[in-house]
Amino acid sequence: MSLNNSIVNVQDLRKYYGKVRAVDGLSFTVEKGEIFGMLGPNGAGKTTTVEVLVGIRKRDSGTVFVLGMDPERQPMAVKDRIGVQLQTASMYPRLTVSEVVRLFCSFYSRHLEPAEIISQVGLQNKAGTQIKNLSGGQVQRLAIALAMVNDGDLVFLDEPTTGLDPQARRNLWDVVFSLKKSGKTIFLTTHYMDEAERLCDRVAVIDHGKIIALGSPHDLIRDHFLERALEFIQPALAGDERLSGLSGVTRVRGNGERVTLYTTDVPRTIASLMELGEVVGAPIKDMVIRQATLEDVFLKLTGRRIRE
Amino acid sequence: MNTLFQLVMANFKEMVRDRMALFWFLAFPVLFILLFGTIFSENNDTASFSIGLVQEEPGLLGDGLAQALGSIPSLKIERGTSRQQELRALERGDRSLVIVLPAGLSRLLEEGSSAEIPIYYDETRQSSHVLLPVIGRVLDEVERRMTNSPRLLDPRPEPVHAVRLRQIDYLLPGVLAMAIMQLGLFGSLRLAYLREQKILKRLGATPLPRGMLLGGEVIVRLLMALIQTTTIVVIGALVFRVTVLGSWFIVVGLVLMGAATFVSLGYMLVSFARSEESGHGIIQLVQFPMMFISGIFFPVNMMPGFLRPVMKAMPLTYLADALRQVMTGTPPQYSLATDVTVLGAWLIVTFALGIRFFQWE
Ligand SMILES: Nc1ncnc2c1ncn2[C@@H]1O[C@H](COP(=O)(O)OP(=O)(O)OP(=O)(O)O)[C@@H](O)[C@H]1O
Ligand SMILES: [Mg+2]
Repeated sequence: MSLNNSIVNVQDLRKYYGKVRAVDGLSFTVEKGEIFGMLGPNGAGKTTTVEVLVGIRKRDSGTVFVLGMDPERQPMAVKDRIGVQLQTASMYPRLTVSEVVRLFCSFYSRHLEPAEIISQVGLQNKAGTQIKNLSGGQVQRLAIALAMVNDGDLVFLDEPTTGLDPQARRNLWDVVFSLKKSGKTIFLTTHYMDEAERLCDRVAVIDHGKIIALGSPHDLIRDHFLERALEFIQPALAGDERLSGLSGVTRVRGNGERVTLYTTDVPRTIASLMELGEVVGAPIKDMVIRQATLEDVFLKLTGRRIRE
Repeated sequence: MNTLFQLVMANFKEMVRDRMALFWFLAFPVLFILLFGTIFSENNDTASFSIGLVQEEPGLLGDGLAQALGSIPSLKIERGTSRQQELRALERGDRSLVIVLPAGLSRLLEEGSSAEIPIYYDETRQSSHVLLPVIGRVLDEVERRMTNSPRLLDPRPEPVHAVRLRQIDYLLPGVLAMAIMQLGLFGSLRLAYLREQKILKRLGATPLPRGMLLGGEVIVRLLMALIQTTTIVVIGALVFRVTVLGSWFIVVGLVLMGAATFVSLGYMLVSFARSEESGHGIIQLVQFPMMFISGIFFPVNMMPGFLRPVMKAMPLTYLADALRQVMTGTPPQYSLATDVTVLGAWLIVTFALGIRFFQWE
């Protein structure tokens, strides 16, 4: 990866709030046209990173280049060319959707047609509705619309789907994909594993302000898990030491009645597991075989689930 | 330019769509004027002012004076028989003012020496301050006729009955000043709201300069102050026939300056508050006493002495005083220059402190 072509280039970025090391030495690049995800639990430092990159928070140390510029030195130039959706921000409550979009259009040196932006996020029926009367999902769509008004090359989305129902999340994913299709680079944060896996070309898994894994979701899972996960429910076997001795099994995780076996050889593990079940007199029910996910990666790397 | 215009439009729409804001900034002052205006006009408008005139020796002067004063529509002249009797009437509130032409007056005048004419009035009554200059002018005129002295300076003919004598003329500009204060102080809570809702933060992520963001907010407040002025003046004219005597140019200038001062004071107060709610508390703490101690509803001389220094420090005192003297010709407490200077000082100091302490997050 050439440094010069990177849309975002971050080296050893640090930001402390008193004793809290919100961002503690991050280094990564974001390449043109990709969806780059930052995945981490609450308080991992995602928002802080985004805020430094978009030029609304000063860093303590490290170098940051966004579109080839330092957002601290040339904030206006950077802001003019990026789109931003912030995690907690709301909007003027008594303006309508189209009024807010038009207002934002006037902030930038160039902008798209307001009506076009509104229909891209599927809010055309709500164009005349005041913000305070929008649903959570609609507010989130508006936030993304506002990140699109200037047709920026790089769009930051900080937890765009948090708090939405599954259907609304899927709809938003479609919007993100269409942004990518139009050639934009997208930097998004999430603490949904499935979202990172589905949307992102590359993911930085971050915890306590540090990157603990970085790569494509597929690579991350492959690198950390050659094996498949085999899950079943059988209280009688939970915590049984013999499980780790079954053929093919590399690791065992118990979570109450639910047991997860990681295995390199699914058929043989199943066979020996069945045998063990007969021996104990407790037949295995509800068995699920699945590929490991980023959740498993996070669990393996930190010993914690991403959402406790 | 387009950005600023869009911002102003957006802020304006936000304000106009906020029913509560409209109530406090427009309906509330209008209700005030209607309520107090009606109460006061019942007392004064119909019953006019009763002036006691006591003549301690017979003479033409008394008749002439009675005639001159009687020709002023809202004055009713009572020819009293004794000084004591009339003074008691004044104490009871039956007289607004008592003029005594003492014994020996005509002899003094014939000799060509000067003579004193005692005029008794109730210091705590607002009407006294309006009446005194009128009486003075009438006496001048009477004296000129008596002595047959030629008019060296021909005064601009100013019909004496046009001099404002009503409480509403005192009240109306004060309520306008109060409305402007409410707008400036409570209006600036919006900044705390925008901060709390992270709207300021979101705007900070666009290339919109902060100065323009603030400019848009302030311009809308100033526009609103002009709307308040228009509303209050129109209501005053329609309901109480209050006409604006002074130049509109100066009135608008004072309104804008007053609005700017209170917006600035509001922003300064808000900058000391962590949240919108605590900002609300701080502002109420300042606004409530100021409303009563600035001589809007009752004049200075009714104020207990220990409050007078407080009153003298408050910007609302000066805005109200300036508006009163310019709009309705009420006898001023301070000169217009003093009013404007004190307001200007408040504007500059609060602006500087606001800039210094405001937290964007
Ligand atoms: N303004 C601030 N002042 C002090 N501490 C802060 C501030 N902002 C964030 N922090 C702390 O810094 C850490 C990182 O916060 P950040 O908001 O970046 O996390 P995040 O990954 O975005 O979390 P979430 O998933 O909850 O949004 C947290 O421990 C948080 O409490
Ligand atoms: Mg966050």
